Amino acid sequence: MAKSLLVISRQAPWSGLSARESLDIVLAGGAFDLPIGLLFMDDGVFQLSQTQGPAAVQQKDLTANLKALEMFGVEDVYACGKSLAERGMFPGNLNINIKQLPQEQDISELIDRYDHVITL
Amino acid sequence: MATLHVLSHSPFADSRLTSCLRLLGSKDALLLCGDATYALTQATAPLEALESRAGAFELYALQEDVHARNLTIPAWVNCVDYPEFVELSIRYDRVNTWL
Amino acid sequence: MKFAIAVFSAAHAPSSRRALLFARAVLAGGHEIVRLFFYQDGVYSASANVVVPQDEQDIAVQWQDLVRTHQLDGVVCIAAALRRGVLNEEEALRYQKPAANLSSSWELSGLGQLHDAAQSADRLVCFGGQ
Repeated sequence: MAKSLLVISRQAPWSGLSARESLDIVLAGGAFDLPIGLLFMDDGVFQLSQTQGPAAVQQKDLTANLKALEMFGVEDVYACGKSLAERGMFPGNLNINIKQLPQEQDISELIDRYDHVITL
Repeated sequence: MATLHVLSHSPFADSRLTSCLRLLGSKDALLLCGDATYALTQATAPLEALESRAGAFELYALQEDVHARNLTIPAWVNCVDYPEFVELSIRYDRVNTWL
Repeated sequence: MKFAIAVFSAAHAPSSRRALLFARAVLAGGHEIVRLFFYQDGVYSASANVVVPQDEQDIAVQWQDLVRTHQLDGVVCIAAALRRGVLNEEEALRYQKPAANLSSSWELSGLGQLHDAAQSADRLVCFGGQ
């Protein structure tokens, strides 16, 4: 049975390459049909904002990459409810569908379900 | 299934320790290395945050980093060298380094 | 036990040195390293062009030596490397860049190698940041 990997993305979309490169890990895993999960927490939830205008800072819009997750077979996409709330964001108005994890304990239990984890 | 969380950023400059403590499971462990060992500095908020959870999880610190910073660490913190770090990574089911 | 070790920081970062010492301890403990994978700024740890003052540790050279001595599979992510200007001869030629600077112990390849390593390993241990 294939080993599963959870990628936890904690950085805002254009703060260096972290957001982009953590997404690349996930998409590559999806391309190989591996069991991959993706969790957005802390500033990582900013990647889920519906109203991004990265062109203003000459950055790439990662929303297209996020929307590709489903196409690559990555369905286990989560966001930390507390991180969203702290940043004035709500599960209902994000750029992709995510499963919200309302409690920290949910995150701990999520991590426990995976063989490996990478937190970027 | 239990996780060894590894931190290396200073808790004074960074929110990783706070975020990590929020989601540490009851069987998980935390290894402080590099600047994260500053969290063990006496009479500081990070140490208080760790003390308030003492007993709820195993806390480890990388020996060389404690030594380099001349830290006096509480008795309930276990210092480890590299061979012991390797053993920890085997003892726990996965290693989650907060990059 | 089989380990995959991923490094996300440059040679001058304490975490790169920490990864190196961890890798040595893994081998000394009789375990196997299925792959070393350098990603993000970790690609700088594979540069042959790092010049370090004589009284400092040359971690890039020590990584090079570790891979060579133990015949480890040392892989650098090609996409991350290109972005950061760590190129082998082939890529330097392809992109018409003036120099190749990837250390000879390392091979440029894709993220598939990270996933492949994670599949073979019992433990994936990452080092990066500080």
